[in-house]
Amino acid sequence: MIVEVEVNGKRHRRDLEPRLLLSDFLRQDLQLTGTHVGCEHGVCGACTVLFDGEPARSCLMLAVQADGHKVGTVEGLAVVNALSPLQAAFREAHALQCGFCTPGFLMTLTAFLRDTPNPGPLEIREALSGNLCRCTGYQHIVEAVSRACGHPRP
Amino acid sequence: MQQPTPQPTPQPTENATKYAWTVPPDRTRVIGTSVPRVDGPDKVSGRAKYTYDIARPGMLHARAVRSPHPHARIVSIDFSAAKAAPGVRGVLTWKDPGTEVMYQGDVVAAVAADTEPQARDAARLVRVEYEVLPFFSSEAAAMQPDAPVVFPNGNTQAGQTQETGDLAAGFAAAAHTLEATYSTHVITHVCLESHCSVCEWNGDQLTAWVSTQGVHASKQQIAGALKIDQANVRVICQYMGGGFGSKVTADAPIIIPARMSKDLGAPVKMVLDRKEEHLDSGNRPSAFARVRAGVSADGMLTAFDGVTWGTGGAGQGANFPLPYIYQFPNRRRAHTNVYINTGLQRPMRAPGHPQGCFVTEMLLDELADLVGLDPLELRLKNLPPTAPDAMWAEYYRMGAKQFGWDRRHPTGDRNPGPIKTGMGVSANQWGGGGRAGAAHVRIQPDGSVLVQCGSQDLGTGTRTLLPVIAGETLGAPLDAIRAEIGDSNLPFAGVSGGSTATPGIAPAIRIASGRARDALFARVASALDAAPEELAAGDGRIFVKAAPERSLAWRAACKLLGQEPITADGQWEPGFSSVNTSGVQFAEVTVDTETGIVKVTRILAIQDCGLVLDRLLAESQVYGGVIGSLNFALFEDRTLDPRTGVMLNPNMEHYLLAGMTDVPQIDVVLMDMPERGVIGIGEPPTVSTASAIANAVRNALGVPIRSLPLHPHRVLAAIDAHTNSGGGPA
Amino acid sequence: MKAFAYVNPSNESDALAALRSGGIVRPLGGGQDLLARLKDYLDEPDRLVSVKGALNREAAATGDGGLRIGAAMRLFEVAEHPEILKRYPALAEAASTVGSPQIRHQGTVGGNLNQRPRCWYFRQEEFVCFKKGGNRCFAADGENQYHSIFGNDGPSKIVHPSSLAVPLVAYGARFRLASASGEREVAAADYFTLPSMQTVQKENVLADDELLTHVILPAPGNVRSGHYEVRFKESRDWPMAFATVVLAMNGPSIDSARVVLGAVAPVPWRAEDAERVLRGRLLDDAAADVAGEAAVRGAKPLAQNAYKIRITRTAVKRAVLAAAGRSV
Repeated sequence: MIVEVEVNGKRHRRDLEPRLLLSDFLRQDLQLTGTHVGCEHGVCGACTVLFDGEPARSCLMLAVQADGHKVGTVEGLAVVNALSPLQAAFREAHALQCGFCTPGFLMTLTAFLRDTPNPGPLEIREALSGNLCRCTGYQHIVEAVSRACGHPRP
Repeated sequence: MQQPTPQPTPQPTENATKYAWTVPPDRTRVIGTSVPRVDGPDKVSGRAKYTYDIARPGMLHARAVRSPHPHARIVSIDFSAAKAAPGVRGVLTWKDPGTEVMYQGDVVAAVAADTEPQARDAARLVRVEYEVLPFFSSEAAAMQPDAPVVFPNGNTQAGQTQETGDLAAGFAAAAHTLEATYSTHVITHVCLESHCSVCEWNGDQLTAWVSTQGVHASKQQIAGALKIDQANVRVICQYMGGGFGSKVTADAPIIIPARMSKDLGAPVKMVLDRKEEHLDSGNRPSAFARVRAGVSADGMLTAFDGVTWGTGGAGQGANFPLPYIYQFPNRRRAHTNVYINTGLQRPMRAPGHPQGCFVTEMLLDELADLVGLDPLELRLKNLPPTAPDAMWAEYYRMGAKQFGWDRRHPTGDRNPGPIKTGMGVSANQWGGGGRAGAAHVRIQPDGSVLVQCGSQDLGTGTRTLLPVIAGETLGAPLDAIRAEIGDSNLPFAGVSGGSTATPGIAPAIRIASGRARDALFARVASALDAAPEELAAGDGRIFVKAAPERSLAWRAACKLLGQEPITADGQWEPGFSSVNTSGVQFAEVTVDTETGIVKVTRILAIQDCGLVLDRLLAESQVYGGVIGSLNFALFEDRTLDPRTGVMLNPNMEHYLLAGMTDVPQIDVVLMDMPERGVIGIGEPPTVSTASAIANAVRNALGVPIRSLPLHPHRVLAAIDAHTNSGGGPA
Repeated sequence: MKAFAYVNPSNESDALAALRSGGIVRPLGGGQDLLARLKDYLDEPDRLVSVKGALNREAAATGDGGLRIGAAMRLFEVAEHPEILKRYPALAEAASTVGSPQIRHQGTVGGNLNQRPRCWYFRQEEFVCFKKGGNRCFAADGENQYHSIFGNDGPSKIVHPSSLAVPLVAYGARFRLASASGEREVAAADYFTLPSMQTVQKENVLADDELLTHVILPAPGNVRSGHYEVRFKESRDWPMAFATVVLAMNGPSIDSARVVLGAVAPVPWRAEDAERVLRGRLLDDAAADVAGEAAVRGAKPLAQNAYKIRITRTAVKRAVLAAAGRSV
C-alpha cells in the first residue's frame, strides 16, 4: 500500500508491504542503518525512534502505521555534520562501548531532555529504564546526560 | 625553523632510545590519559556501519531451518514447497538425512530469498521429518546411571583427579570442616548485534563482512571450511555490537551465506534472530561443586576436597579453576564434563573464573563463620604471597577502608524490619597476556600518519589504542593519526578474546611506531643540526633533547620527507606487554525478606592491568565487567522446559537483564603499574562481582544461598529452609 | 510474521465494519503486544485493523461525577492525567509502571487490557497449549514459578498480564464494548474470564468483531486507594504480584474495601476475605497485616510458586499502608 512518511524532515512516498516493520523500512528502504534492532520484542530499546516527537520502538511498529506521521532517527540529530550537545557528551563521557545500543539511548534522551531540560540522576535513570546496554552502560551514560545539560558530574 | 608564537618548552616523551621500544615507557604524555574514543562520532551519529548494516547490490537473505527437537535423527528434508515460494533463489542442506541434530536450534538446512521476510516464510515451508530420540535437559538426568546413551562417546566424561599435599593430614589439622554443594547456572552472551555476515564472491575471491572477534581467525576458519586458499578470503569487521567470547567461531551463520553466495552468484546476508542467538551462539557452562573443606582454629585453610561437574551443552566441556586463588595446602579435585542437549558453550568473558570464584568465595565466608573470623581476615591469612601480579592483600586493605568494611555487621542483619543489608568481598585473577600482533605505520610527507593493524574492535576501544600508542611514540598530534583495523588484509593480529588483544597488538604498534620515529629522526636530524639520537618527539614537535628550543612542528618535520613516506612494521616482542592481573571487589546489598528481592546498592572494584593505555577505555571495561557479573548473580538464567528440552526464555523479556535502574553506583579504582607493561583487562572485572553480591546476601540474611541466580523465589526458599531448620527468623 | 492486509479506518463504525471483513481479523492499537505475537507466529491474522485513529483517546468527565476514558488513550497519558492522578491514583500508578517509557508512549488502555498472556510456554511457538488449541497446559506440571496461585483449577495456569485491569476492577469500572450490531456495557470484574475448556482460548468476553472502546469509572466517593507492585527488576519487568486496595472511608475507619490482586490468577483477583476483614477497621498497621494474611487465604500454589503467597501478602499489606499514606 502507498505510504507517505516524513523522516528527519524529508518526505518519502513508497509502496510498502503491510508487514514491513518500521525499523526495516528505515534500515533497508531508506538506508538509515543507525536505527538498530537488538531484541525484536520492544525490550532493549536499541530501535527507538521519535514518532511524532515521542519515543517509540520501531521494531514493534509497522511502516504503514507511520503513514502521515513524522519519524526521527539518529541520523537526524546532528546539524550539518556537527554533533548535537548530547551526541558530543556521549563521546566525551565515554558513554558507549560497542555503540550498537547508542542510537536508541540518544533518541529516548532527545525526547526526554526536550520535556525535562534539567533532570537529576534518578530521573535520567528512570527515563532510560527501557534501554539496555550490554557492554558498559550506565554510569557513563548518566554522566553524559548530566554533561549535556551543563552539569560537569551527576 | 621559525616559530610563529612562543611555545612552551616541549618535553621529551620518554628516554627511550631506538633499542628501547620493547620497554614500558617511564614517562608518558598520551598513554594513560583519558583519550575519547576515535569512533565516538561515528557511533553517536549512526554513521558506524556494523556487519548488520551492510547491504550489497543484489544481495539475498539466508535463513536457517533449525531443529525444534533437542535430539532427533533427520529422516528426510523436503524443499519442494520452499523452492516454490515467492522470492526464493536457493536452498542448502546443512545436515544430511540420517544424521542427528543434538539440540533445539541445531541447523538442518537453509534457504536464500530476495528479502528477509521471504526467506523466513520459505524456511517455514521446508518439511523436515524427524525421528525423535532421547535427550537430556539437565545435568542430573544425564548423570543417572541408567540413563540412555545419548552421546556416543559417553554422556559424561571424567577428567583426571588432581591431588596435592596430604588430604588426610589436612583434614586432621582442621578444627572445623564444612561440606556443601555450590552451583552456578548457564547464561548466554546476548550480544546486542547478533551473529551475522554478508558474503560476496568475485571469481574465486571471497569477501566476507563478519561480526567477528577475529578477522584473521575467521579468514583461516572460512578458508578451511570451504577448502579454499586463505589468500582468497578477505574478512572485514569495522564495527561490531559486542561479542563477549561468542564471536570466535566461523560456523553456520558465516559458512551458509558463503556457500550459498558462491552457488547463487549473488551476495548473501545472514543475520540470526534473538531466539537463534540464545539457542545456538554459545553460552557460559554451568558449574557444580560438592566440596568438603577444613580450616584450623586460627583460620588457616587446611584441606579442600572437591567433586565437580558441569555442562557445556551437547558435547562441550565445562571445566573451571578450583579452588580459586586462596591457598589450600592439601587439596584434591575431580571434575566431570556432563553433556546435555543444548547449544554448545563458547568462551564467555573470563571462561571458568566466575564459577570457580563463586564456589571458593562462598566457601570462605562460611569457613570464616565457623572459625569466628571476619571474612576479610580469613582471606588475608590464606592468600598467595604478595607479588606484582598478586596484590590482593593490599587491595583488600585499601578497599576495606574506602568501602567502610568496618561497618559490616556479623552474619545476619539483626535490625528489625523486612529490609536487611549486607556486605561481601571477592577477588579475581586473570592472565591477560597476548603475543599475536603485527602493525604497520606510515608517516606521510604531509604529516598525516596511517597506523594499520588487523585486529578488531568488539566495542572495547581497540581502534582508539592505535593513535594513543602511535601518538605517544611519534609525538604526532592525535588528530593527524588515522587508524585502520578490522580487515584481514591488514597485518596479522590474534582474536580479541581472553584479554589478549591489547597486550598482543600494543607492542607491535609501539615497535612499528618507534621504528618509524627513528627513521623520521634520521631524515630530519640535519635540519636541526643534530644527530638523530640527539632528537626527541612530543607534543606535536620534534626537538633536540639538550636544546628543546631547537625544534620542528610535526607537520613541518614531515614536509622534509619530500615525496617519500616513511613506512615501518612491527611485530609483537616481549617487554612492552605482560601477563597476570589481580583485583578485588566489594558489594553492598539490601534484601527484602518479605519479597526475596535483592538490590545491589554499592560496588567497589579495585583492579590493576599494568600500564594503562587509555584510562577511559580501561575504566569502561571494569564498569561493563561489573554489570555483566551483577546480571549473572541476579538476573540472567537460561531456563529449559525439563520435559521437552525447549528453552523457555530465548528472548530479552523472560531472560532478564539489568537496566539503568537496576545498577548501583559503581566505584572503580584502577591501580597503575606502568613498569609491568600492557595487560588485558576485559576479563578480570567480571569474575568476582557475583560472588561478592552472593556473600553480601548471606551477610544480610544469615543464610547461605549456595547457587545462582539470586532470584526472589530462591531467596525466599532459603529463608524458609533456614527458619524451618530452627535457625530462627532471618 | 505471515503477510496480512492492513486497514486504517478513521472512525469507530468503519473500524467495527472492518472487523467483520472476513478471515481472521485483529484490531491493532499500540501494537506493543500484537506485533511481538505476530513475529513469533503465535497469531497469524489475515487482516489488521488499526484502531488507534478510530477510537477515542480522551478522558472526559461523566454526568455523575465519574470519568470516561477512550480506549486509544496512551498509557503515559493515563499516568500523567491530572484528574486520574487526583481521583484514581492507583490507576495512574499502575499505568506509570507498565513496560518502559517507549512502551507507555505507544501502548494504549485498550491494548493493555486485551494483551495476551505472558506465560513463557504460551509465548513459544513450540508449545501448542490449550490456549492455542492444544490439549494441555505445559505450565501445570512444568516451570510454573510465574504462574497462578488463585483461580487455577481450570485448564490454564496463566496469570492475567494487564496492569490496568487490577485498579479498574478495584475502582468498579465498566467497559463499553461495541460491534457493528450494537454496544453493551460490562463491569470490569465480569469482563475477564476464568479459563474453562470452552473459554480457554481467550481471557475475556470480547467477541472477535467487538472493540473495547471506553473505560467508564464511577465517581470515586470518599476513598483512599493504594497500589503496590512487587517487581524484581525496576526497569521494564513484569510484576511478580501486585495489589490495588480502594477503601471507602468513614473518618479514620474503613467502611468498605475492594482488594484486587494482579499477576496471581488468570483474571484480576478479588480478595474478598481481605475486603471482609478490613470492613469497619481503623486504617492502621494492623489492618495492613490482617488484610495481607486474609488475601492469601485459599491460595493454591503450583509446584514451584508457593513463594508467591508471601509476595502477594506483602503486596496487599504494602498497598494498604500506601492507602494510609505510609511508605514501607
